[in-house]
Amino acid sequence: MIVEIRDQLDDLLTGYFRADATPTDLASRIARSSRSVEADLGEVAERLAIRATSHGVSLIRTGRPQKSTDAASQRLVDQAREELVEYLRGQRVFFSVPVDLSETPPFQRRVLEAARQIPFGEARAYGWVAGHIGSPRAVRAVGTALGRNPVPLIVPCHRVWRSDGSLGGYLFGEALKRRLLDLERSTPVLVGSTTTRVVCRVGCVEGRHTRPEERIVFASVEDARSVGYRPCKVCRPSAAV
Amino acid sequence: MDSDGRLIERIGKKDDAAFAELVNRYGGRLLAVANRLLGSRMDAEDAVQRALLQCFASAASYRAEWAAVSTWLYRILTNVCVDELRRRSARAGRDLKIKGTPRPRDRQPGAYVDLHRALDRVPREARILLALHYVDGLSYGELARIRGISVNTVKSQLARGKSLLRAELAERGVL
Repeated sequence: MIVEIRDQLDDLLTGYFRADATPTDLASRIARSSRSVEADLGEVAERLAIRATSHGVSLIRTGRPQKSTDAASQRLVDQAREELVEYLRGQRVFFSVPVDLSETPPFQRRVLEAARQIPFGEARAYGWVAGHIGSPRAVRAVGTALGRNPVPLIVPCHRVWRSDGSLGGYLFGEALKRRLLDLERSTPVLVGSTTTRVVCRVGCVEGRHTRPEERIVFASVEDARSVGYRPCKVCRPSAAV
Repeated sequence: MDSDGRLIERIGKKDDAAFAELVNRYGGRLLAVANRLLGSRMDAEDAVQRALLQCFASAASYRAEWAAVSTWLYRILTNVCVDELRRRSARAGRDLKIKGTPRPRDRQPGAYVDLHRALDRVPREARILLALHYVDGLSYGELARIRGISVNTVKSQLARGKSLLRAELAERGVL
């Protein structure tokens, strides 16, 4: 039998990592916060009217879902709804359904394209968007352009806040903006499967069959690689994160 | 006293008393791991709360043949903490300042301050393994199951982490 020799570093590490006593009120605090967990966001998607052209999703608003006139756009509408439900349930961190912004004025389109670059779970200031499109003084115009976002959620205008850290407005209401933020805060982005040793972005078809007990969260593709996981070839997490 | 497995069974049936017992049994250790991984007491409590809530929600689907209760708990907690670390490294390069209360710093005597700084130099996956290994004395096999990696990877990561720490601490004259 190999006996491990404990040295000074082991002692130092043991002391450093020594467990604290459980705060006496931890259990009751957790019980309290579990009661405040809000209802499923997934049903928000049921109340959305989605329109699409044959090129992509062109409009998302609250309202009654309506059937498209042609099959191609209906397929996109169905795909968008499915992805939105998954996103709102914390099972998807990216959208693969295309959007069609061809009817959108050029300035607004630039603003929306900039907003699309903000990664899941992050936030930027209105000023950042203005700077990003090369019009640093057009902060108010950016706000208006985002407020009229034809395809909210898919183009994540909810990730743009005021620079003082307050939320700013949202076309679906500030309460939902706050809940989306909480949702994105508690949804992991990179998940590996212990059986396949492949790391995917959450929502990828390849990772869909990973059972909960096989899920390993990683902070970066590099980290996953360092312990023998490889990035998925379908959702290509290295290109996105 | 109920075994861990029996406790999870009761939690699966939404038994609040069993949940409180689980929190008392593991809360301290989970908090210590989260605290060492995230470096702030407030974030650690938040992570432990989220992890325990996940346990509460998914206890009914827990299978004893898959892993020991502690392995399962540590897996869930580590997943929560790692995602928080991802968010944090992304946040480091961004312009927007989110308002918040300043993070309370733990008071650490002498050598621990140096160790704390040295740990920052250790790659993330190795740091996670070090924290799990030294908080609860988890074996290589358990660490492998918690992070879904091979025992050999655990060993090489720990060895690499420790040799980095040794070099850093020697430079600071601690070891």
